[in-house]
Amino acid sequence: MPSPEVVLKVRDALASLQRADLKDPRLIEVLNLSEQLVEAMNSFFGSMDRNVYGELRYIAAYIARTRGEISALRPNDLRESRIPQAGAELDAVVKNTEDATHTIMSAAEAVMSKDPGEPDFAAFVNDRMLEIFEACSFQDITGQRVRKVVDTLRHIEERVARFAHVMGAQDAQVEPTEDERRKKALLLNGPSLNGPEVKQDAIDALFTKSGPQSSGQAPPSQAPPSQAPPSQASSSQGDIDALFA
Amino acid sequence: MAVDMSMNILVVDDYQTMIRIIRNLLKQLGFENVDEAKDGQEALGLLRSGKYNLVISDWNMEPMTGFELLKHVRADDKLKRTPFIMVTAESKTENVIAAKQAGVNNYIVKPFNAQTLKAKLVSVIGDF
Repeated sequence: MPSPEVVLKVRDALASLQRADLKDPRLIEVLNLSEQLVEAMNSFFGSMDRNVYGELRYIAAYIARTRGEISALRPNDLRESRIPQAGAELDAVVKNTEDATHTIMSAAEAVMSKDPGEPDFAAFVNDRMLEIFEACSFQDITGQRVRKVVDTLRHIEERVARFAHVMGAQDAQVEPTEDERRKKALLLNGPSLNGPEVKQDAIDALFTKSGPQSSGQAPPSQAPPSQAPPSQASSSQGDIDALFA
Repeated sequence: MAVDMSMNILVVDDYQTMIRIIRNLLKQLGFENVDEAKDGQEALGLLRSGKYNLVISDWNMEPMTGFELLKHVRADDKLKRTPFIMVTAESKTENVIAAKQAGVNNYIVKPFNAQTLKAKLVSVIGDF
């Protein structure tokens, strides 16, 4: 039963008892105390209702704001349009690059296999060079495609960052996936963004300074039996330091 | 001792263009007997035929990486002396050190040129 109705019922009961012309002063005192208690409870329930109402209003406003922020993310637009489009652009970049590489390599291979003594050699080479120049035009198109993908990523980044800020979201600790664990164990880092992290010269220094395999090791059929297999080699601190020199 | 230019070389890479590049460079250097595999697993099967004198392998391949292939080769009594050159875009210090500790004979960072490939071949199999 709701609290206001309980209060009304108790009040009615008290009024009825008071009208009964009671003679016992202790009973009258109990009635007075009960009346005060009912008043106190009435104001308590009233303030509690106001607090609950306030909390519910806050939660409703929070939900409405979250919905607004999610709408601003335009999730359907991202899922149905922008992300598939970005994927298609990247697929096209891969294909354009592969096609161009194939054309360029085929031209180079044709030149390499042509006998320079043949009378049409110069014209042949000239034609293949033109093919190579034409194939290089892929770079302009792939550049435009990549820019579109970058724009999409920036669009997503801005909206997700804004959403996280408004929601006050913090990064949660997440367990690495099986694929991530495997990549870490097998050192599958991929190419570095700004060229090789360790330059070829530093690597050469590492392989020149130590190890039986570093210079002039014969192929298996010619290797001396006493030579330790390369797996026995290990890097000294000096080798490692050379990498950072 | 002169290098046997008819030696059998196995090039392992999941990217056909890179195999084509290495094959052409090797051809220019005078090595004609070049076979290919698209990942470590396929390479290991070919290597167990016992005909290969040199492996040139990428690192990042599936299902078996070049690093795993290297460790398999070095753990196999019949294959462990096979010279192994890693040609890869994996250029972090930890990769180079791990490969060296696993017994790689040399390490080339992509992109590379013909001179680099020749220099590493000379350092591993001798001058030619």
